[in-house]
Amino acid sequence: MMHPGLPPGWAALVGVAVVVLSLRTLVALRKPAVERQVRWIAPSAPGAIMRHVAALGPWLLLVLKIALAALFLLIVTAGLFGTPIPERNLATVLTWNVWWAGLILTIFFVGSFWCAVCPWDTLAGWLVRRRLVRRASPNNSLNLRVPRMIRSVWPALLLFIGLTWLELGTGLTTTPRTTAILGLAMVVLATVSLALFERKAFCRYFCPVGRTIGFYSQLAPVELRPADIEVCARCTSLECYHGTDRVEPCPTHLVMGRLTENTYCTSCGNCVSSCPSKNIFWRLRPPSIEAMQNARPHWDEACFMLALLALTDFHGITMMPLWKEGMGSFARLVSDSGTLLLSFTIALLASLAVPTMLYSGAVAVTHRIAGIAIEYKQLFSGLAFVALPLAFAYHLAHNLGHVVRESTGIWTLFSNPLGTGMQPLSVAEKQARHMELLIRPELLFTLQAGLMLFGFWVALQVLRHRGQRLLPGGALTGFTLLPMILLAVAFTGFHLWLLMQPMAMRL
Amino acid sequence: MPFINPEEKARTLYGKYMAICPTDALVVQVTRLIIVMAMLGWCAPAQAHHILGRPAYSLNEDSNTPPSMQVEAQIGEYLVSYMVFPAFPRPNVPGRINLYASHLDTGEPLTGKVTFKVREDGWFADSEEEVIGSQLPDDNVYRQGFVFKEGGDYIITAAFEAGNAPYLVDFPLPVGNTAPMGLLGVVIAILGAVLLGVSIAQRKRLTRAKVRKARQEGTLDARPTNDMEEL
Repeated sequence: MMHPGLPPGWAALVGVAVVVLSLRTLVALRKPAVERQVRWIAPSAPGAIMRHVAALGPWLLLVLKIALAALFLLIVTAGLFGTPIPERNLATVLTWNVWWAGLILTIFFVGSFWCAVCPWDTLAGWLVRRRLVRRASPNNSLNLRVPRMIRSVWPALLLFIGLTWLELGTGLTTTPRTTAILGLAMVVLATVSLALFERKAFCRYFCPVGRTIGFYSQLAPVELRPADIEVCARCTSLECYHGTDRVEPCPTHLVMGRLTENTYCTSCGNCVSSCPSKNIFWRLRPPSIEAMQNARPHWDEACFMLALLALTDFHGITMMPLWKEGMGSFARLVSDSGTLLLSFTIALLASLAVPTMLYSGAVAVTHRIAGIAIEYKQLFSGLAFVALPLAFAYHLAHNLGHVVRESTGIWTLFSNPLGTGMQPLSVAEKQARHMELLIRPELLFTLQAGLMLFGFWVALQVLRHRGQRLLPGGALTGFTLLPMILLAVAFTGFHLWLLMQPMAMRL
Repeated sequence: MPFINPEEKARTLYGKYMAICPTDALVVQVTRLIIVMAMLGWCAPAQAHHILGRPAYSLNEDSNTPPSMQVEAQIGEYLVSYMVFPAFPRPNVPGRINLYASHLDTGEPLTGKVTFKVREDGWFADSEEEVIGSQLPDDNVYRQGFVFKEGGDYIITAAFEAGNAPYLVDFPLPVGNTAPMGLLGVVIAILGAVLLGVSIAQRKRLTRAKVRKARQEGTLDARPTNDMEEL
């Protein structure tokens, strides 16, 4: 069954707004962008709630970890021993319809909080450290340094591409057993990594989900930071980095006094517990401030952000009715048969290459127009943050459609998670589910359109602020960044077109 | 070793169907399909097309009809759809395979003979195949009955020729409940091996550190005695 797409009227409205915002930005580029100061909204209710929650800290996290680990084990059990009918098995429905789609939505509100309660890391920690909360000593790990060659996000990127290939190419999402196997494989990877390497190398370098969350959380309105930076400047013991007798050190090697981005923060809260000055707090901030200003560009991270954009678009393309026909025709061209894995792999690689080439071309033109002595690689890395809001907005809008349309009936699965004795969905049941939405369609379209516009606006701000830093003095004009603005318009237009297409249900 | 009891086969839907329909009713001898040879193209002038489709389950409106598993996939020049009734076959319970193939360009249904074979599926499975039967289309659909003696994971192969090219359509058919204890065993073994290995390595490290420390302390205590000996 197919979901209807965004009505053309909404797309046209967003399109007009995109053009207006683009023109406005071109004019505004004549003036320097004002660097925004992050404000800690201390007395407000959300900040106060966060402080109280943080005070409960480790015990609250422990309860959540136990609950999610138990749920994960239930999913594995259902996947391995339950019915193969994907709509009747908790493993497939909860993993792909709810968690995989809903995870992106949570980042928008709570940043990388999922990483703090991730069941893969929880189970790995219990198996290796053999402790529930406190620091393990000895930590039962070989504590080897991660080899320099893989001390980057390239391993996570390769795993992310592999995960996409498995998800969309082999139909992993429609088979409870393979869903469970994938979950177990991630636990094995996390455990082996924790046993061999120092701290949480899996979270820092290898986990594709964690790195995706990390990059997207640059756009989140929450962050874990020192309340008073001077306290950190005077600190010589760095408990946030080294840990204490009772509290584990930062699992991703972060020093709070120098932290400017959420990318590698897993929201574990160790720094909150270990800081002797009680100087670390959750706080609210303007959304996307990090992508605009604070996050430092690196080559591998730039490639990850571009791949994120490419793979998000690819997800949408594969769910269109055109995809099946196109794949069929292409398969005959390359003499491919059956599950068409060869054709799919070629299409996946092409989907990675095309946006990268478009971006590289736009950067090259910008580099030529700017006419100042700046390395192409520096410009490439610095402007790559534009991919984040574009990818995030489309990802959110796309997943919102899935969650709203495909989460009905999930609660009945908890009464029979293995789907024992259940029949496949009848045509009538499928149609009933198709008609039942969590929210009204008009609200869904409004949210999707709003997200697309928000993503484009943030992309323009990223270009403006980053452009100003990379192209100082008179080099930055509206004309200089025109190629990049056109690129952002093109991607937004493509995303709007994707949203307008009827979309296949996951299950 | 035959998976299907010949006597039972005769009493099954297949046996009865073969008696009624004017098709090739000869029971083909158990043949050994050498997969490597097929892949190398020994047995065929052109490379055979293999398929392993992904199943979907559906329930018909008529509640008396059991649920079915169906797979649709593109293979070579043909779009092949097959359905298995019931969706979850059980040992000693009759079942049926329906296969339909049509040309991608013209939509013309396949009209030649289709031979159905079965073998075990799995990493350490026996690759010996058994032929279940050969069918001609009835109303453009190939129907093949089966009864399995034992549960397990099987691969059904539908073989036909079209346009002078051989086609081999493989699809999975789990019969009965197959518990993935082997997989769980592998996971536990890997985790156990890693944790044990790390534990042993750590103990060795600790022991070496203790010995080193003891030697250093022993060296410090012994120094005045050595000096005195020199004197």
